[in-house]
Amino acid sequence: MNLASLLSRDRINLEMKSTKKEEVLKDLVYMIKSKTDAELIYSTLLKREELGSTGIGKGIAIPHCRSLAVSKLEIAIGRTIKPINFNAIDKKPVSLFFLIIAPPQDPGNQYLITLGKIVQISRELTKNNLINKPQTPDEFISLINEIEKKIAKKR
Amino acid sequence: MGKEIDIMRILKRLFDLDNLIADKEADKKIGFKIDEEVGLLSLKKERASLLKEIPKEYADSYERIKKRYALAIAEVKNGFCFGCFQQLPTEMLVRSNEIVTCPNCGRILFWREE
Ligand SMILES: [Zn+2]
Repeated sequence: MNLASLLSRDRINLEMKSTKKEEVLKDLVYMIKSKTDAELIYSTLLKREELGSTGIGKGIAIPHCRSLAVSKLEIAIGRTIKPINFNAIDKKPVSLFFLIIAPPQDPGNQYLITLGKIVQISRELTKNNLINKPQTPDEFISLINEIEKKIAKKR
Repeated sequence: MGKEIDIMRILKRLFDLDNLIADKEADKKIGFKIDEEVGLLSLKKERASLLKEIPKEYADSYERIKKRYALAIAEVKNGFCFGCFQQLPTEMLVRSNEIVTCPNCGRILFWREE
């Protein structure tokens, strides 16, 4: 599975103006769904955050859940202009967000595989200080592609 | 309260919540921190309060189906129940605004609004 192939330019916003946790979640969900569906996903995401912040440290969070509101795996990526408080594990503010929503019925468990992969890619992004490097969605996708290739080679 | 469309909305929330609780172990394995004491407790409270918001017959029926299947709600696609993949009787296909169960597997059916 190639993550870069699941990403699309119009679902990457590197200039988010959101300043609060709730706001950034809502804005990300609206990148993939509108109205009633977005409300269902948003409420599930908030509950997921109660179980423990998806802020994995060093400025990255991976909000995720399964929801009836989607019929296939959906991904949106956002970067806020200013880092925001997300109750991350290391208490540091977060600026890069990977939103992953999967349907409850998920052939091949693509959801968990994708989640694991994004965690791995995130480590590379922080290790090499790359969070703020890409300036356009296209640059972002090619960076992810590069990192994926690097990870594959290490195996 | 009582309109089936509103009840379905709550059932969907309940279903999402149950999937969240079910995925907790997988999340831990991947490396996400899970707060069992406060976090899980608050989800269980939320679950109980959602159940109270819907008429008892629907709440009971949801709980009963959940005991049998991991996924108690199934989507209807092209006239098929996506829980058991059986074709639904044509007379059922016009009942997208009601809470109905699949005559074959018993899961609660839902039609995607599109
Ligand atoms: Zn069925």
